[in-house]
Amino acid sequence: MGRNRSDLIVFVGKRLLQLIPVVLGVIVITFFFTHVATQNPCAVWAGAHATADQVQACIVRFGLDRPLTDQFWRYLTTLLSGDWGANPRGGVPVLLSISSAFPATLELVLASLFIMTVLGIPLGVIAANGAGRWADHLVRVFYLSGWATPTYLGAVVLAIAVGPAIGLPTKGDFASTPPFARLTHMSVLDALLALDFPAAGDALLHLILPASALALLNLGIATRMTRTSMLDVLPLDFVKTARMKGLSDFVVLYKHALRNALISTVTILGITAGVLLSGTVVIETIFQWPGIGAYAYDAIKGYNFPGTIAVVIVFAIAVVISNLLSDVLYGILDPRVEWR
Amino acid sequence: MANETRSSLGGDATAERSLRGKVSHLRELLRPFIRVLRANPLTLVGFILVVIISVTAVLVALVPVITQLVLGHPILLTPYDPNGISTDYSQGPSLKHLLGTDKLGLDIFSRVLTALPLDLAIGVGIAGFALLAGGGLGLVAGYWDKPRTIGGAISAVILRVTDVFLAFPSLVLALAIAASLGRGTVPSMLAVLLTWWPYYVRLTRGEVLAVKHRPYVVAARAAGVSEVRILFRHVLRNLIEPLLVYYTLDIGTVIITFSTISFVGIGVPLEVSEWGTMVEAYEQLLLTHPWTVLAPGAAIFITVLAFSLFGDGLRDILDPRSRRTLVQAVAPTTLPGQVAVSAEA
Amino acid sequence: MVEPVLEVQDLSVEYEAGTGTFHALTGVSVRLDPGRVVGIVGETGSGKSTLAHAIPRLLPEPPARIVSGRIAFRGVDVLDLPKWKLPLLRGTGIGMIFQEPINSLNPAYRIFDQVAEAVAVRKLRDAGEAPTLFPAPEPHDYSKGTTVKTGEALLHPIATTLPRRRSRARREALMQDVLDYLKLVRINDPETILDLYPHELSGGMRQRIMIAMALSAKPSLLIADEPTSALDITIQAQVLTLMKELMEEVQTSILFISHDLGIIAEMADEVGVLYAGHLVEFGPVEEVFANPRHPYTKLLLRSVPAQYKEDGPLPALSGSVPSLADVPRGCPFHPRCPLARDACTRDPGPMLEPAKGTSVRTHLSACYYSDEVGRMT
Repeated sequence: MGRNRSDLIVFVGKRLLQLIPVVLGVIVITFFFTHVATQNPCAVWAGAHATADQVQACIVRFGLDRPLTDQFWRYLTTLLSGDWGANPRGGVPVLLSISSAFPATLELVLASLFIMTVLGIPLGVIAANGAGRWADHLVRVFYLSGWATPTYLGAVVLAIAVGPAIGLPTKGDFASTPPFARLTHMSVLDALLALDFPAAGDALLHLILPASALALLNLGIATRMTRTSMLDVLPLDFVKTARMKGLSDFVVLYKHALRNALISTVTILGITAGVLLSGTVVIETIFQWPGIGAYAYDAIKGYNFPGTIAVVIVFAIAVVISNLLSDVLYGILDPRVEWR
Repeated sequence: MANETRSSLGGDATAERSLRGKVSHLRELLRPFIRVLRANPLTLVGFILVVIISVTAVLVALVPVITQLVLGHPILLTPYDPNGISTDYSQGPSLKHLLGTDKLGLDIFSRVLTALPLDLAIGVGIAGFALLAGGGLGLVAGYWDKPRTIGGAISAVILRVTDVFLAFPSLVLALAIAASLGRGTVPSMLAVLLTWWPYYVRLTRGEVLAVKHRPYVVAARAAGVSEVRILFRHVLRNLIEPLLVYYTLDIGTVIITFSTISFVGIGVPLEVSEWGTMVEAYEQLLLTHPWTVLAPGAAIFITVLAFSLFGDGLRDILDPRSRRTLVQAVAPTTLPGQVAVSAEA
Repeated sequence: MVEPVLEVQDLSVEYEAGTGTFHALTGVSVRLDPGRVVGIVGETGSGKSTLAHAIPRLLPEPPARIVSGRIAFRGVDVLDLPKWKLPLLRGTGIGMIFQEPINSLNPAYRIFDQVAEAVAVRKLRDAGEAPTLFPAPEPHDYSKGTTVKTGEALLHPIATTLPRRRSRARREALMQDVLDYLKLVRINDPETILDLYPHELSGGMRQRIMIAMALSAKPSLLIADEPTSALDITIQAQVLTLMKELMEEVQTSILFISHDLGIIAEMADEVGVLYAGHLVEFGPVEEVFANPRHPYTKLLLRSVPAQYKEDGPLPALSGSVPSLADVPRGCPFHPRCPLARDACTRDPGPMLEPAKGTSVRTHLSACYYSDEVGRMT
């Protein structure tokens, strides 16, 4: 059978190799849009009151007067050597910013995924079970409403109105800078590692609103997919067999039907990652969460080219790896699939 | 012998039968749509809303133009000039100003209505362009993909490029492109377009691959039917349904993405009425003058919800269950949010 | 008279499809006595699957609708049960095996887990640790003589508490039963297949496992819905032989659904013939097949190719089976029936005994002119 551990390793290896040309393409395209399409970034970097000389000095300093291929080659080589440049305004090294921001986003996204799974999947099961009746319609209105709300609107309403109303924090990941060292830059984890439990609680509270915002607005992805899969699975014979064994409705739905429906649901993990990452750009900015989404927002608006390119690369890698993860999960969940 | 108790055909007027036949034929075609619209009330609600919104948008956009041409001066459909400053500052919703006014006395209702044609046109137009461009490329990549041929080479190139674009989270890419192209309506439209086309490539290619190997297509080819005819009769006909569904759902998503770009501040210039810029402009007033923020927000919400209800219901009508074979043939990345599609397609 | 295991009275079931109402069953009555095997034979679209699914209330209620009738299982009114009590009826009460073994077993779980699950349900109910409709563990009152040696394996002592979670202890507690039932269905070396998945086994194996799973719950009634139709003919023979042997060993009443007259002849004690949702004939299987009292049955028997030894065209029935949405009024068979007369177009006949009671057990027919069937050419 093509399903043992070595097959899996080969499969993952093949897919990781496929990563490389994609990342290269990502770099090229991002380079194109930041260096080629943009008109005169130095006007922004040098500041609003810069003189023509200062702008010119800026251009020379960043090599923007060199031929494009030259610029690209220079950029590529510095990237690969580990130097990811620095923010042209202010000089903060990009790698430093990203390495502390990314785990924070990871924490946020994982929390959102958790909420989406715990809330979205059972809703999908309920909708499928009562297909065409009021439960189905209610669930559909619920998740489509989340879908129809722009992220910025939902985030603004939650941050400005709902949060203060129910007493949940809406800014940042801690109430104040925590006293302990940030080992992982994931707020809750760091607090736990430092055995500072009140701080961990504080971090958790801060995590609730942004994660909920991200999850609720995109709940439809999980719910819709689960519903469709369940509708495919419920008429199958083995569900009847399970019922005829005398098992309760709950066991039949969750242990037998959902277990098979999840096989398809898991395939959307890749896209979900992309959507959630997109969402972090706005959510982190509004909730002042120190993650890579907020960094991307600032970088894009502030013409921080090295920052933008780096962030986009990280996003792309994250999306590709999520796709890989979902394929692996799919193979794990479905015993019939072989690693090809 | 068996008694014929079923009604038998007597002598009928052929002409009468053909007319009745045509009417009933039409009814037959419409029946699945009518049936589902009735079965799923939400789809009907969505459909009605879509019609109302579209008609309103067309009227708001065209009436000033037509009246300008015909009467010499434009008549606005909106109660007030959207850019007309007045002295009714920061009033809540009332009979005079249906959705209230802002700090400068601008009528919110008029502003929201004026933004409708733009945002709706963006949704319909950009998604449409993406559909055509991406769909065309996907068709090529799916149909003429035999290795070691020119078609195969082109397909490979298309797929590689599509893969790269698909690796970007959509909003991030749109923002990056919009930022680099500068502020303005057209650059942000381009940004969204460039972000959207890859999804249609994947989607179309997937469908084409599925149909290409179906028994009836293989049979047609074996019987000597020309490739072009196969393409039009079988492949395209099967494509229309899923593409239509995704297009409908995409309209909403495009509107949201476009308005997000404006919200971030790198999209539409401030003078142009657009829902995203309006939300951004009034963001801080949520607690003090909630109607200013919530009106454009609600407008986006209702519009996108209408198209989503309709498209989601449409998806049920067109029974994607038969297309599930494609899950393993194509990597599961198609549209942001229309993720159910990927496993269904 | 012994209380019947199953009594279906005047059951009528309809399906609401978008294009019309399908009358899947109309006024069907069946009675199953303890320890007997009743076969239901009919072509595709006769409603036999609907009957099989209606009894344990497996029909999806929105499109399907039980219009009228009564279903009594061991005295319990099935149609009256609240939804939450239905699982109690199944498993240890009514068991069922299906047609396509590849779809009938859960593809995501290993064989051991699936069979053990069925065993666990019974053990918990027997020990009183799970609710059931028939609380006291019933001694088998359907004894048909002494049990054969392999049957003794079924009489294990009742287990007390089963470990709840998937643990080694639970596995051990259930292992013996699982192995015994797999051996019962003639799977040699069952240990080798315990950790396999359904897709890794052959169709015949899967069907045996289905039978094992169903029997391990010791149901009073087993419904077999075309259990061998999806199997190759040699495997079919094996599984049928197995089932015949099991019928000797295990005193479960069986309702056997099939479109194959030969299989029914082999397996059933009594047979009911379904046509377009109506039960047209019912009686002891040898009687019905030797002296059919309904034109449809007679013509059906005659059209079996194996019977026909002369030259010339096969005597096929004229016309085709009506769609269940369009069942002819009166006797459903009358448009194709050589004996049809006026009365046939008005009322479907009631199931009637022959004018002169000739057989030991009742042989019913719904044809007004059943006496003439014997003389039909």
